[in-house]
Amino acid sequence: MSLLNAAAPEVGDLFRQLDIELLWHPSLSNDSPAAHDALLEAILAGDVALDILVVEGTIVRGPANTGMFDTRRGRPKKDLAAALARQANHVVAAGTCAAFGGIGTNDTLQGCGLQFTGKTPGGLLGAEFRSRSGGPVINLAGCPCHEQAMTGTLSALAGGQALALDEFNRPLDWYGMTVHQGCTRNEYHEYRVEETDFAQRGCLFFFKGCHGPLADGPCNKVLWNGRSSKPRAGVPCFGCTDPDFPQSFPFFVTRDIEGVPISLPKGVSRAHYMVYKGMAAAAAPNRLKQRETKI
Amino acid sequence: MTRRIIRDLPLNRVEGDLEIRVELEDNRVVDAWSSGTMFRGFENLMVGRGALDGLVITPRICGICSTTHLMAAACALDQIAGVRPPGNALRLRNLTLMVENCQSDLRQSVLMYMPDFATPAHAAHPLHAAAVKRYAPLAGERCIDVVRETRKLLEIIAILGGQWPHSSFMVPGGVTYIPNLAELNQCRGLLQHFRRWYEQQVLGCSLERWQAVRSVSDLDAWLEENDAQRDSDVGFFLRFSRGAGLIGQGRGHGHFLSYGSLDIPSGSAVTGGEDRYLVPAGFRTADGRIEPFDQSRVAEHVASSWYEGVGGRHPFDGETVPLATGADGKKYSWSKAPRYAGLPAETGPLAERVVGGDALFGDLLRCYGPDLVSRQLARLVRPATLLPAMETWLDELLAQRDQPFYETVPPLQQGRGFGLIEAARGALGHWVEIRDGKIARYQIVTPTAWNGSPRDDAGVRGPWEEALIGLHVADIDNPVEAGHVVRSFDPCLVCTVHVVGADTTPLRC
Ligand code: SF4
Ligand code: SF4
Repeated sequence: MSLLNAAAPEVGDLFRQLDIELLWHPSLSNDSPAAHDALLEAILAGDVALDILVVEGTIVRGPANTGMFDTRRGRPKKDLAAALARQANHVVAAGTCAAFGGIGTNDTLQGCGLQFTGKTPGGLLGAEFRSRSGGPVINLAGCPCHEQAMTGTLSALAGGQALALDEFNRPLDWYGMTVHQGCTRNEYHEYRVEETDFAQRGCLFFFKGCHGPLADGPCNKVLWNGRSSKPRAGVPCFGCTDPDFPQSFPFFVTRDIEGVPISLPKGVSRAHYMVYKGMAAAAAPNRLKQRETKI
Repeated sequence: MTRRIIRDLPLNRVEGDLEIRVELEDNRVVDAWSSGTMFRGFENLMVGRGALDGLVITPRICGICSTTHLMAAACALDQIAGVRPPGNALRLRNLTLMVENCQSDLRQSVLMYMPDFATPAHAAHPLHAAAVKRYAPLAGERCIDVVRETRKLLEIIAILGGQWPHSSFMVPGGVTYIPNLAELNQCRGLLQHFRRWYEQQVLGCSLERWQAVRSVSDLDAWLEENDAQRDSDVGFFLRFSRGAGLIGQGRGHGHFLSYGSLDIPSGSAVTGGEDRYLVPAGFRTADGRIEPFDQSRVAEHVASSWYEGVGGRHPFDGETVPLATGADGKKYSWSKAPRYAGLPAETGPLAERVVGGDALFGDLLRCYGPDLVSRQLARLVRPATLLPAMETWLDELLAQRDQPFYETVPPLQQGRGFGLIEAARGALGHWVEIRDGKIARYQIVTPTAWNGSPRDDAGVRGPWEEALIGLHVADIDNPVEAGHVVRSFDPCLVCTVHVVGADTTPLRC
């Protein structure tokens, strides 16, 4: 559904421009059930080429590895997904659930991603899996994945362009930056001017559990709906692009030791950080401390 | 000679995973079973989590109505905290929920429902060629237009709440953000633009002209009045439905339920019914009586669902243990069977209108019964009832920007609360219990659980199972008629399927 929100180009236009023929989509297709069955058979037999397979949602393996918690006509959907992946030129996991298992990674659903379970390689298809083009599953992490990551990836694949990926097979063009980069609250963060309660102005990192400096994603670069982002609107980043999303500890609070967050910004050493933040808070200008800035 | 056959009909273009099984006798449906094919266990994931985590997890139940789950979750927590958020918070929350409902109503109508008019099954209909041009999936002119315009409208939620979908800007006590003058004015511009577009393209007339349609004869006259109205989405929908013989088809039980929604802040120029809700609450029985709504009369049955347990249970006492697999026998769905006062109930825009005593829909019901055309029409025209209040609340936000948007709520330790609202698809409830600062129970009953419910303990069918009975299906390999019936309920199976655990299985992350 996030795809329907792709700003420019419009979804339909995107497919026309890229000469992508949408074979089937659960919300958009108009085929009869019989035609849908025939299409699936033709793809699996190799009679219809499947250039890009986009999979959404956790791969459900429960109960007891049968996959029967999620079926199509009485058969587990996980088997269908695996069979289709073997026919596809490129395989794209849309969203954290399809990529890493996400919310479904629990003992009941036994969910996993296409090629990862959390941070562990493997998943449904196995770490060695390569699609027909020779690449691994491209993981468009996020809950949901940013519409621009989706349309941009489809454009690149349709144009035959290679995408550089990170260690979790997320394309660097959208995941090679942190959510923190570009946040309008950066200056508050810099001087450690904090939001202690909701609906204030300040950085959400120190008390409200913001993952911005740890999460990889373009939310403050390309923005959502072309307008804003969660941290800009006073909502902490929940780290939804992380392979381990959702975290097991509560949202909206920062876990800390003596006032220093347990999880520090990506790659920062604790000793340096403590010194730096102490000095930064002391240097904080009044216009920030008094919230004279209107952002 | 009669020929009895049973067919499974997976439906495309519903938001989720749904299979319908029908028994046909000479191409007429004599029995029906609706089955949710996916178990998601969302509520299990909630137990043991932080008290506010429902605000993050539940919007992710569904990509199309995330703000709605956020609202229900926040209302339940408000109740536990014992606060009524300040007026501006109510206005901002209501406005974003209404934006989401408007986009859902239009996307469902034009991207999900109308494309069935463009299938070859309707090739003989005189309006078929026009339907293809307008509503063919992705390519139809109206489809492209609706995607573009609803996308623009959703920018309002992004401006006020950070993003759509899946933001968490509503918190117990209010909202997380105080928009400035410029941002509220941007919202005003987007809303004005949307209203103009909705009037021109969807209604073909002004909101005021539409509101003057108060009976079936008014509706007939409206349809003949001019080309703009005839050719609008509403006009086309009515003409196509009449030509295809859909009037009077797909009648449900006639029991309607609305939880009531959109809490009106004190001092607002918006007026509602007797309760302080813009959308009134109530239960209407098949014989036309309207009773006040009482949440203690909601119970969920699992006789036909793949869960352990017997008897109907109130959501606060709900317990669910999924059976190992979708075994056959009497059970056939991952969806439970909610009942109100022991009865199945239809919920959604038609229910809201009927429970609220709307003149036009009351008359339609008298003339044609609770049929699929009225059900879908109510959805297509719901934005006409929401837009005036949305404008008023936005103006009030602009005028009272300096008033509070949030009231401090200390960390929640204990308590039970429910958040009952009207989602795009109807009655949505979150029942939440907090113990020792953690979620001890989280039960969600969705609109599709009501509408698409399987049989209850007494063997009574759910609303759309019932609505399928008697339907004539011309081609059993392409049962568009069944599609019309089920789609008129705006099915969303993504979020229907659920389980609550009293145990404290921790999340494995
Ligand atoms: S609110 Fe979050 S994203 Fe924004 S500056 Fe603070 S830590 Fe970074
Ligand atoms: S701000 Fe964080 S939680 Fe929100 S969408 Fe971006 S990565 Fe996900």
